[in-house]
Amino acid sequence: MLISGLIIGAALGFVLQRGRFCVTGAFRDIWIAKNTWWLSAFFVAIAVQSVGVWVLDALGVITLSASDFPWLATILGGFIFGFGIVLAGGCATGTYYRAAEGLVGSWFALLFYALFASISKYGPLGSTTEALRGITVEGQGTLHETFNVSPWLLVALLVVGTTLWARHHITKPRLKFATLPPEKTGLAHVLFEKAWNPFVTAAVVGLIAIAAWPASWATGRESGLGITTPSANIATYLTTGDVELVDWGVFLVLGIFVGSLIAALGSGEFKLRVPDAQTIVRSIAGGALMGVGAAWAGGCTIGNALVGTSTFSWQGWVSLVVMILGTGVAAKLFIAPRKKTAAPAQVPAGV
Amino acid sequence: MAQHILETDGLVCPFPVVEAKAAMAEMPAGDELVIHFDCTQGTEAIPRWAAENGYPVTDFTKRGAAEWSITVQKA
Repeated sequence: MLISGLIIGAALGFVLQRGRFCVTGAFRDIWIAKNTWWLSAFFVAIAVQSVGVWVLDALGVITLSASDFPWLATILGGFIFGFGIVLAGGCATGTYYRAAEGLVGSWFALLFYALFASISKYGPLGSTTEALRGITVEGQGTLHETFNVSPWLLVALLVVGTTLWARHHITKPRLKFATLPPEKTGLAHVLFEKAWNPFVTAAVVGLIAIAAWPASWATGRESGLGITTPSANIATYLTTGDVELVDWGVFLVLGIFVGSLIAALGSGEFKLRVPDAQTIVRSIAGGALMGVGAAWAGGCTIGNALVGTSTFSWQGWVSLVVMILGTGVAAKLFIAPRKKTAAPAQVPAGV
Repeated sequence: MAQHILETDGLVCPFPVVEAKAAMAEMPAGDELVIHFDCTQGTEAIPRWAAENGYPVTDFTKRGAAEWSITVQKA
């Protein structure tokens, strides 16, 4: 049932767009805004999914198997990916949903991301990727293997830690955010207008990530959410016609695009937005770096930082940390206000 | 009290907030900054930035499809 990929993807795309769920923003905020508000929300998604996948594993619906830890490729790739998402203005899923909102810069990022993921997986860089990923720590694929503990202990720690962290953000001086005056009512207001609470959005993302496992498993693709390999598969399918590449993951990412397009159109947030030349060049460079980085690291902010962390793979956790470091370096280098010439024009009050 | 207009249409997040921060730093207290933006994420990021800094938001409207305007006072 490949079509379930399209449905789950659409649900995810819808939620990401409406909830303004941006992993790049969560990582960037640590360095620029010096806060972990969104990062703690991202951890809510990891924790919710973690409980779900380990329950599915215990029930025998899926089987989480351990593998070796390709440490060098994870560190290099994760850093390159984290650096790239700042230039591209969004991670893989962020780029899909911004492309669907009509951001032309994200179209460039998306095309170069898919192209370079394909080059690095199936093309001329394929052997480099394979060689890098062949450098491993054997039999140490997961945290629970290394520390020789039950994964349930890690699930418990993750859930308790995340709850305390999120609670700290939710309850500390409760900030009153300005909201737009509502123009819609009832369900239309909730779905297509209301500002969603980040922590609720994150929990829903976690639930969708759980649902992805059995749905994907049923089609023979034995993993959860993933963006990079499906994107590489689309690029490769389009140039080779190899239908074998069109799997559940391909339908998932197409669904993300469709779901966010529905969300953007339904809420009056679709507009073709063409950025300046510098932003386009950065989007292209960022997309290319994301493609190479994710291929090397074996995943992006979703495959590694959201899914790999929930199964306690070293690849997931190490890439999460180095992605954040890569984001920090790129943020220091590239995020600054425009030149003084663009200073705001002053007008007298009341005019 | 004066109003200052900051045009950020075409800029993606986090640049609207980065520019608003820079503009605020040069304004006298009591003045208002009118930020025009078309980055969707800004509908969450800008009000949160204002709230975290204790700046009152005196106006927040949708100008059109994926276009917003928010007025933030330097308190």
